[in-house]
Amino acid sequence: MLDFLRNFPQYLANGMANGCLYILVAMGFNIIYNSTGIINFAQGEFSMFGGLFTYALAVSAGLPIPLAALLAVLATGAVGGAMERLMIHPLRRAGVLTAIIATVGASIFFKSLGRVFWPSEAYKVPEFTPGTFRLPGATVSKQFLWVTGLTVVCVALVYLFFSRTRAGKAMRACSVNRQAATLVGINVSRMSLYSFVLAAALGGAAGLINAPFASYGMGLEIGIKGFTASVVGGLGNTFGAVVGGLVLGLLEELIPGFLNVVLGVSTGYKGAVSAIILIAVLLFRPQGLLGRGIAEKV
Amino acid sequence: MEGDGKGARRVPRDGGVPRGTGDTPGRFSSSARSLLSIIRSYHLFLGLGVFLALFPLWADRISRPLGIPLVMVMRLVGIYTIAAVGLNLLIGYAGQVSLGHAAFFGVGAYTSALLCLKAHFPPWLGIPAAVAVSAVLGFTVAPVLRLKGHYLAMATLGLGMVFFVFMREMTWLTGGNDGLRNIPALYLPGLAIGEGRDYLRKEYFFIWIIALLVLLFCHNLVRSRSGRAMLALHQSEVAAEVMGVDVSWEKIKAFVLSAALAGLAGGIFAHIQGYIDPNLFTIVLSIQLVTMVVVGGMESIWGAVAGAGVITFIPKVVEALPKWLGEVPHWLEKYSNYEGIIYGLILVLTMVFMPKGITRGLADMVRYRRSPFVNPWRKKALE
Repeated sequence: MLDFLRNFPQYLANGMANGCLYILVAMGFNIIYNSTGIINFAQGEFSMFGGLFTYALAVSAGLPIPLAALLAVLATGAVGGAMERLMIHPLRRAGVLTAIIATVGASIFFKSLGRVFWPSEAYKVPEFTPGTFRLPGATVSKQFLWVTGLTVVCVALVYLFFSRTRAGKAMRACSVNRQAATLVGINVSRMSLYSFVLAAALGGAAGLINAPFASYGMGLEIGIKGFTASVVGGLGNTFGAVVGGLVLGLLEELIPGFLNVVLGVSTGYKGAVSAIILIAVLLFRPQGLLGRGIAEKV
Repeated sequence: MEGDGKGARRVPRDGGVPRGTGDTPGRFSSSARSLLSIIRSYHLFLGLGVFLALFPLWADRISRPLGIPLVMVMRLVGIYTIAAVGLNLLIGYAGQVSLGHAAFFGVGAYTSALLCLKAHFPPWLGIPAAVAVSAVLGFTVAPVLRLKGHYLAMATLGLGMVFFVFMREMTWLTGGNDGLRNIPALYLPGLAIGEGRDYLRKEYFFIWIIALLVLLFCHNLVRSRSGRAMLALHQSEVAAEVMGVDVSWEKIKAFVLSAALAGLAGGIFAHIQGYIDPNLFTIVLSIQLVTMVVVGGMESIWGAVAGAGVITFIPKVVEALPKWLGEVPHWLEKYSNYEGIIYGLILVLTMVFMPKGITRGLADMVRYRRSPFVNPWRKKALE
């Protein structure tokens, strides 16, 4: 128990860092869900592309890191846009089942594409500023500051987009009622395209700040965790994702830490924690920690 | 076209008297009539049964020039058919997506393997035990069926992950990543199946006899009260509830049955492979099973057979390509790299262009004389 308490600040720091990733991915889930009603099972693969593109541009092509990161985010956004035009748009009238299976197919397709071009198990994406520093009770990499800083910037930008720009307001209108949005002259199909580009760009950003490693296999894990975060925050509540991401990030460090240090359970079970949290939240509090009860229209 | 739900409902069932021939009912004795009616209800089964029975006679001869061991691959098709037909009941008929059925497949495999290795059960007792354990486990996690649509899909995906982690981490039981080796081959009391010179052929017959029985069971099930209830709740849960269908119980039944069939497939799989490890039962297998259901055709018993066949044979054909063509570009050589691309494309393209799957698409083409493909870009009058 004492060991657990001594490690506590370290758990907090790690949990915060992971939580920031989950926030970005979860916001992507929410944005797409709001404007199209679809859960994009390929959301995690956007992060994979973000990480691998950054690796390709910064290491293979030798560009300066900030430029490589920016280009990687843009390229991932383009992947999201292409996916929307080629797959989601044709399926816009299809049922839930079709949408689920199609996005699952897209996720497998993206993952294998990543595997063909970047076949190793892990690529080292350069950190913005290498090195670590010490806080009382925890050793933190300098990347941690970048992760939190960039997450704050991204969340602020998304907030400004939704509250100040015409397109952002139109997308919010779509999330309230797509049909009514059409009636007042909003191009719903274009809003769906924007939402995919935005979500993919956010996912890409999450993937590249997830330094130092990226690999073709990271998408599933980060996707299911991002989704868990968005469910914890309340699906469709874009800024609930902030709470959801942080809560999930912390729980995911604290629970296995507690089990491992105090009860001696293997750390290998860590992979199951977020899935169990996901199922528990879906079953017992489907509206999320912040949400109010939802009435379903039949 | 007995195989597909919609068509079967359209055709009136008329007591087995051949229509269109002008025969009076009195021409046949009643036993001959009932025989005819059986043949008519089950002609696809008879056709498949005859095909499968004769298959090994010519398969061996063309396996070598083809470069694909046909009987060996058909064993796997049989196993996947069992799992896919169960999953089709859940996804295609009851409309509940599961992205975690590899878990039940894996649990079935581990149950039978462990019982045989550690408790020295014979395989013919281990496999029923695998079915039972998978079914009980399916019943235990059935509360996730309260969720709908996307939520259910994500929750089952999560379940699959949880089971995978436990299979990997409970090393004292499952051997962890090293897996279990030397799983005994199949045998029935007094009949060795997995041994001897032509063990492949014996396993093939064993698997397909079970698969045909499962198909027969499901074929009749979807025409029972339960099957119609599943179709009803797929259309609209509220309407089904109003009509007196116990929606949650029907969902649980479909889920438990599909879990049990996945467990059955997994149990047989363990014994014909002789070796299992957790990495065989990841999300990849779950997606493969869903691909079989979707590509073959949802809401169709025969879709599971077609899907299992197509998805199992694709990698074998790609592997055999160098043998057919003499030389192929070197990027084709390592199929495993491209497996996911092919599955992903198949899933997406099927959903966009042939959302009902192969069997339904082709059946509709024959029946309504229209293209089996849909054009998703066609403008509808009502957007």
